[in-house]
Amino acid sequence: MEQSLPKRILRDITAVTVVAIFMFPLFWWALTSIKPMYAIFNKDEVVVFDFVPTLINYAVVLLGWSRAEIAIESGSTFGVGGTSSYDSRQTIIDSIIVAVGSTGLTIILAVLAAYALSRMRFRGREGFLNWVLGQRFLPPIAIIVPLVGMYKVAGMRDTDNLFLGYIGLIVIHALMNLPIAVLLLKSFFDDVPKDVDEAAMIDGATRWQTFLKVVLPMVRGGVAAAAVLCFIFSWTEFLLSLFLTTIIRTVPVKITTFVTSTGSEWGFISALGTAAILPGFIFILLVQRHLVRGLTLGSLKE
Amino acid sequence: MSDAAVAQSRSPGSLWPKWRWLSSEHPLPWLLPASALMIIFGIYPLLYALWLSLHKRNPVTRANVFDPDYNWMKAFGDQRVWDAIATTFLYTGIALVIQLVLGLLIALLLDSDRKGYGVLRALMTLPLVVPPAVTGMMFLLMLDGSFGVLSRSLYAVGLLSPQYPILANSSTALAGVLLADIWQWTPFMVLIMLAGLRSLPKEPFEAAAIDGATAVQAFFKLTLPMMSKVIAIAVLIRGIDLFRVFDYVKVMTDSGPGTATETLTSYSGRIYFNGDFPYASTLSLITLILVIIASSLFMKIFRVKL
Repeated sequence: MEQSLPKRILRDITAVTVVAIFMFPLFWWALTSIKPMYAIFNKDEVVVFDFVPTLINYAVVLLGWSRAEIAIESGSTFGVGGTSSYDSRQTIIDSIIVAVGSTGLTIILAVLAAYALSRMRFRGREGFLNWVLGQRFLPPIAIIVPLVGMYKVAGMRDTDNLFLGYIGLIVIHALMNLPIAVLLLKSFFDDVPKDVDEAAMIDGATRWQTFLKVVLPMVRGGVAAAAVLCFIFSWTEFLLSLFLTTIIRTVPVKITTFVTSTGSEWGFISALGTAAILPGFIFILLVQRHLVRGLTLGSLKE
Repeated sequence: MSDAAVAQSRSPGSLWPKWRWLSSEHPLPWLLPASALMIIFGIYPLLYALWLSLHKRNPVTRANVFDPDYNWMKAFGDQRVWDAIATTFLYTGIALVIQLVLGLLIALLLDSDRKGYGVLRALMTLPLVVPPAVTGMMFLLMLDGSFGVLSRSLYAVGLLSPQYPILANSSTALAGVLLADIWQWTPFMVLIMLAGLRSLPKEPFEAAAIDGATAVQAFFKLTLPMMSKVIAIAVLIRGIDLFRVFDYVKVMTDSGPGTATETLTSYSGRIYFNGDFPYASTLSLITLILVIIASSLFMKIFRVKL
């Protein structure tokens, strides 16, 4: 249906306005991160562009500058001394290790399960699918108390052993992402005709060889999409990371510690927040095509 | 040799029939790793939570004594639990309706093949990847009572008074939290509705146009009914996630002021931090039971299958 020109222009304007409204919080957040303190905490007027941009907030959270250096820089002696608890370098490294590790683990487990669910007919198949689906909808809070107990016993909660701490979060993020990955990958395997498998097996390949050499390469795109989604969900996860470990702070957990009873350091918060959002933005643009399928657990295709 | 015989001689299972379930022909090796993860870190903790909920915690000795109905009766008589349930349902309901309606409208708006619309659709997905805790922070900053840009805009147009900052006032705090949720998850609905719209067949709409149907008629008589499956799936997935809301509440109001924004999940979290693990488990199991009842009712009534 062709629309008339005035109608089309009206639609364009509305569409741009709506998207702009949704982009505003992101814009404001990024803008706050380059504002000096006086512009953020101005109670007399809202400062939009009338400030001297600074990268000091990024220097503190990403490079570990101390507050003393900032104070000297800005010519004041206020807040000099004390180590910087806003240094987030370790946090970012922790988050990357957990997200990459859990994505890898999830994908390995999911790709195997998804292949069997897509290709084999066996007793309990429906039951297994429902189990996986149920796992997706299980509120994390329902298992958190026992998990904390288990993690304490296993030394994964509050030890000096960073490695065990990583394993703990990696495993639980993998559990959280497993249902999405399994159901999404199953829908991608379902797209590959079964004749492909049968042809390979008639040529003498075993199931395992067929899977590894023939079918898996055909769903590369799907595996990539699932991996990206797993990475994003792990990167953004808050509740499990908050409860389950005291030695590792992922980015979402760390950022909430910047809110203190004596006031919130909005400059640092928005700088780390902006840095934390960027990887997701880049990744999401890579999987645009498969996003709907991922978010609806493979039940809707684009 | 027949095909079956070829398969027989090839399968390692035929050499050692006892170990057939270990061969790649059998589903077990494929499903075992994922199952192990889900049993150890999913099923076992769930059963353990159930076991805990049947015990009474002695606050002095910190020992858990078997007392099967203590926590459940306590929850039943706890007004805060009922308030939390009411808040959770209110939150879920409001967010769901607003996100669905907004999502559908924005999807209709952005469903165009003309230049630039692809960029707009891509931009619309960005809120989805912001960590919810960060989203909470973003809105905390914008809704700050004294220098928040949103608060000040609302003061300026007279919708809000500086004496009652939105998050510090028990009658408006939930709206503040909802704002963050709606910003982050309306794009989810937009995406799914867009996918639904794009999969609709063209013919019925052409026929309707020839018969002189208006765009509004076409929407209610054709688009909505044909989209019902997509809408049901979106509502189900979003609804279940909304019901266990935690991040925004924790970050923005920490259930406050008072208990004005306390949901089941956040109440359970609070009890956990107070150290009463059996009662915290009971509350989290109540959350789970409510999710199961609500979602299975929904799936039954609207005949949805994921």
